[in-house]
Amino acid sequence: MRSLRTLIILVSTLTLLGFAAPNGAEESIAIVTQRTSDINNVSIETLKLVYLRKLLLDSNGTRWIPLNLPSAHELRQIFSFTLFKKRPDELEDYWNEQYFQGVTPPKVLASEEAILRFVAITPGAIGYVHQRNVDERVKVLKIMPISADN
Amino acid sequence: MEFLSLKASRFARAPIQILILAVLLSSVNPALADDTSSGYQLGHGYPLGDTGFALGGYASSHFEGLGKWPASLSISNLSLFVTWDNGGKLRFFSETEGENVLNAGGKRTLSATGANLHLERLYIDYLATDTLSVRIGKILTPVGQWNLIHVDPLVWTTTRPVATTNLFSDYATGVMLQGTVLVGERFLDYSVYSDYSSTLYPTINIDGRVFDNAQGLRLRYHVNDSLQLGLSYVDFALIDGSKIRNHLTGLDLAWSYRRFAVNGEFVYRNNAADVNQNAWQGYIQGVVPLTSSLYAVGRYEYFDWASNRDNRVVYKGLGQAEVLGIAYRPLPPLVFKLEYRTGNNNRELAPDGMFASCSVLF
Repeated sequence: MRSLRTLIILVSTLTLLGFAAPNGAEESIAIVTQRTSDINNVSIETLKLVYLRKLLLDSNGTRWIPLNLPSAHELRQIFSFTLFKKRPDELEDYWNEQYFQGVTPPKVLASEEAILRFVAITPGAIGYVHQRNVDERVKVLKIMPISADN
Repeated sequence: MEFLSLKASRFARAPIQILILAVLLSSVNPALADDTSSGYQLGHGYPLGDTGFALGGYASSHFEGLGKWPASLSISNLSLFVTWDNGGKLRFFSETEGENVLNAGGKRTLSATGANLHLERLYIDYLATDTLSVRIGKILTPVGQWNLIHVDPLVWTTTRPVATTNLFSDYATGVMLQGTVLVGERFLDYSVYSDYSSTLYPTINIDGRVFDNAQGLRLRYHVNDSLQLGLSYVDFALIDGSKIRNHLTGLDLAWSYRRFAVNGEFVYRNNAADVNQNAWQGYIQGVVPLTSSLYAVGRYEYFDWASNRDNRVVYKGLGQAEVLGIAYRPLPPLVFKLEYRTGNNNRELAPDGMFASCSVLF
């Protein structure tokens, strides 16, 4: 009986920890760029322009290379809604119109790790990952709290 | 004939060589290839490896039933886009269009009579600063919203509002400065351009809509995520030998919320000519979603217009047209449309009839 009670407490504790840790860490998105970049922060308005591909150069004249995750990726959905208040599929009309003007959407990489690897070696690259996945390969430009609406 | 087939076969081989080159170039590109979430997506073009080149285009087919005329069906447009952007400060875009590729019905049987191939747009962009780029070449004239996205897959009706095409040229050839700036927390898109069509891209003037020596400006302010307001102004001459200047001012709005949309454009042109000195035209259009892929579309148009013969005005008045239709969009770049248009004093510019189209951006 005592061992059963111990087991229940142990399972409950692990369960609570298991829920608490990811939730706490997943509450923010980190906007990252190359570690050697001169840029140290980015405003939400600038980020919108970069991701809409209306702003193509940074203040030093380097081309921005915005990176996206696949449109079905959970973090892509959250990022899109947090930044534009629209899901990726709701931006399709915009991208079709831009494509007609010769402008293509941001490059899509398969995973957060792929984004970190690309950003680490590419001047001008800018991407987003869960804050908990940030490491020393990249520089954080902004932390975006995930909107409660998500 | 042999000459033609030889020429055709050489022409046919060229894209294959480009493709092979592109594949070779992309295959020697470093790292990260496995990380790219590749795959063709309809409406975004086909990138040729990491060369910076991409190919795409659009196709549309039209059906028209105009009053007493027999109905007609045509593959009305087939366009090829070539874009190049290697991440530097230069970019390139071109659109080559085949028009009236195949026709059936109307006044003729199945034929390719009337088919023509022409350069729709061709320009180079130089990205000068973060808020300024310089575009040189043949462009869509920045007046209103519709003209800048006028192709079938991007608009809600098969017919085009008179106000988006009648009082100015659809195209200009010259230099344009453009960019987006932040005004507070909102965006302002701007473009300022100067046109030299008669020197750079002389064309045959059929209906007096070709610019020459135009100077224009367009501003588009993003009031919020749902509403944009636009202002256009252009001062131009026509390539008909006259020295008369035309002054055109336009206002436009675009509102969207979820899948509802309202668009409107209003233009006023004045000049010192004998015909239609002061002309007002405009439209207002609403779109309402009916199901996840089906939309109802309604539009009201009005337009001052004049008809002249031997430089004499034979008619001048106000025309009106109403359009009611549906659009089925199983995917954003693919759209099927059906609509009916009727009106008053509209026979010349927007005749009554039933119109349908199928179009895809690829």
